Amino acid sequence: MQILLHEIKKIFSWKILLLLLFVNGILSFLLIEFDIKYFPNGRPALDSYRIGVEMIEKYGTHMDEDDFADFKKTYEVQLEEANHYLQTRKEFVDAGMGTYEDFRNYDRNNKEQDVLYDKVMFKEPVDMLWELEERSRLIENYKSKEISLEHYMKDANAKQKLRFNELIEAGHYPVYPEVAFANFKSFIYHVAITIIFSVVLVLLPIFIQDRSRRLLDLQYTAKKGRNLYKTKVAAGLISTFIVITTLLITYFGFYSLNHTSMFFSVPIHMFGGDFYWYDPTFFQYIVLTVVAIYILGFVFALLAMSFSSIMSNTIALIGIQIPFVIIMIKYGVFYMMRHIISIWVPKWVVPTSYSVMLVVSVVFIVLLWKREKKRDIVL
Amino acid sequence: MRIIFHECKKAFTSPILVVLILLFMAYNMFLIFSNSYFKEELKVVNELAETYGVKMTDESLHQFQQDLQKDFAKLNEITRKHTAQEFSSIDEFLNTLRYEDRDLYTEKEWAFFTQYQLKEMYFNLAKSIDSEYDRMDWKRMAKSEIEMYGLSGSAAKILQNEYDKFSQRFEEMKENREHKTWFFAGKPYKVHSFLFRTVFGHLIFEALILIVLATALITNYEFENRTNLVTYSTKRGRRLMKDKLAASLLMATAITAFLFVITLGTYFSVFDYSYLWESSISSALNWEYNLPYVSWWNLSFLAFLLLSILLVYMCMILFSAITFVISIFVKNSYFTFFLFTAFFAMAYMMNGFMPQSSMLIFIAGFNLSLLVMNPHMFFMGSGGLMMFKFYEMITVGVWMMIVSVLCIFSFKKFNKQEIY
Repeated sequence: MQILLHEIKKIFSWKILLLLLFVNGILSFLLIEFDIKYFPNGRPALDSYRIGVEMIEKYGTHMDEDDFADFKKTYEVQLEEANHYLQTRKEFVDAGMGTYEDFRNYDRNNKEQDVLYDKVMFKEPVDMLWELEERSRLIENYKSKEISLEHYMKDANAKQKLRFNELIEAGHYPVYPEVAFANFKSFIYHVAITIIFSVVLVLLPIFIQDRSRRLLDLQYTAKKGRNLYKTKVAAGLISTFIVITTLLITYFGFYSLNHTSMFFSVPIHMFGGDFYWYDPTFFQYIVLTVVAIYILGFVFALLAMSFSSIMSNTIALIGIQIPFVIIMIKYGVFYMMRHIISIWVPKWVVPTSYSVMLVVSVVFIVLLWKREKKRDIVL
Repeated sequence: MRIIFHECKKAFTSPILVVLILLFMAYNMFLIFSNSYFKEELKVVNELAETYGVKMTDESLHQFQQDLQKDFAKLNEITRKHTAQEFSSIDEFLNTLRYEDRDLYTEKEWAFFTQYQLKEMYFNLAKSIDSEYDRMDWKRMAKSEIEMYGLSGSAAKILQNEYDKFSQRFEEMKENREHKTWFFAGKPYKVHSFLFRTVFGHLIFEALILIVLATALITNYEFENRTNLVTYSTKRGRRLMKDKLAASLLMATAITAFLFVITLGTYFSVFDYSYLWESSISSALNWEYNLPYVSWWNLSFLAFLLLSILLVYMCMILFSAITFVISIFVKNSYFTFFLFTAFFAMAYMMNGFMPQSSMLIFIAGFNLSLLVMNPHMFFMGSGGLMMFKFYEMITVGVWMMIVSVLCIFSFKKFNKQEIY
């Protein structure tokens, strides 16, 4: 126990902690900040978000025909308001944009109309006008929900078709605005990259440090002996857990600034943008991605430790990680995080990749422990 | 000399560096081959440059038009033969073509159709150059750029000024017809982006990784292998660091050269540039997005390519020297590598943190990271925050001075540093 604690302390030396802080600061500015600072990103994303919140308050997690009728009514009421607003403003009536319909189909080449349009949409944005546009998009979306699903089905293979039919039978159509969910997917993707990078950074020196200081001669002749290797692996795994948990808490703390918790109880098939093999709620999806991040983190921690115990010097150690980390960040995370249950990736691919990675990294470290038991350390 | 060679040997006999360089080379080749599906179509413009000369003149365009008419007559001859129909243009022919009629024409005839269609596209592009270029309003461009980056105060003034200068250059260019040369059509193929952004970008990134690793390996070698007490007490002693710097720079040169030769060798054997070396980089056809690529200088494609290679090489040398300085201070390759990464990323983000009203935002932009991250905009004046005429020279020059001072300082420091 004592040794384990000391090993953990050795991993978290102040230099490493400082570096970790520094690197995470940079990565969060480069990758994560955008999804927090610019959410909702301009217009109509902001209106989409607001309307989404309103819809969930009114209709709950599902939207049936009655809800839709109510939604349409809200739209018509607002349309009246907009008409009234445009009617009461003289310059709009003069420019031939007295009704909302004329306003929407304004002539871009007509200078007068263009200036007025620019004024109420961009210069001093009138929320109502933006909201109307978004509402009409959602209404169109709702009306054409069957057709658009059929359109997707055309390119689907047999298994995907089966899943689409399942969705149709259950009446699961993507009718809610997707801003919040799309934002989360982008956020968690970047968090995954940051965490993989951080874990590798912390665990790289674990074995090579002792070896290059010639500590093995002392350690392996002590009472604890070669079992120290196992203790160090345990210390590494505990440290990985600490790093991942701390970073997740920090980044989810930032994420809470986005105020998307009202969407958490909505099943993800209600959001547009993609289709999924399963029907978790938004919250369950968050849990799923968090579990996935832990698995990825532990896999890369185990790999880093394995390489740390076989590579001859630090440069070789960093060098051998580079292809793995780059491939993971460039291709792996894309499929295994962003499209984790997406219908466009075959159902078995993602679970299999996770299992294979986990098994390979565990087997690797077990083999290295077997090797360590017999290795000639005097050489 | 022998010492330098032996220092270099530490890097190039390191198996991991050899494996990485082979991996990167293979990846670059894969990248180029997997994007080469349009290479046959690119031959058309080479033919144009061959028959009409790489510069477009009124006579050569006229000649081109006449030849096109001949081709058009031939097109109708072919269609008459098979379908007894005539068409007013190739587009009409292709639009009215039914799927089942495709087999009526032989492969050779189809080749002729595509050839003709492409030639016509190039002709139309060439014809529209003047009207498109007359519409370019750099004053307005400057305004929208200033708005986009939210500049105000002196920063806005500086950028406005620079755009005024660039506008003059643009007018001069229109006078001397430098932009009227044949080049791959930008919008459909985006060859400039592919070569100078994708291929160069990957290459720079790979070279950077290899160079940082090699430099850190050479510089920290003695400390990591516990040979410091022996080597630094020999006759050469601490002056060995000078050899280590020389060896690092030599390795940086070798790595960059190697990657360039293999990657560009593959690139130019796949893509045919045979008649376009003399074409101008500011060619009006080299127009991919909102703005055409317009250089501050009158550069041919070949000159631009060579200058870009030189610029990348200089940056790599400087990065190697920066790694060397970091190595001396931290004496540990692990920290050297990650501190360098952090330095690179920080410099890259620097001008995002500067106030948008002062010229600090530009001063922070004169850094090597920002420079090498945009290889497709080297020497260009069209677009971007750092579009200054001497941007590349100033950046490299200033950093050369900074790095030299740092190197001298770190030599001095190393002379008194504890070595164990």
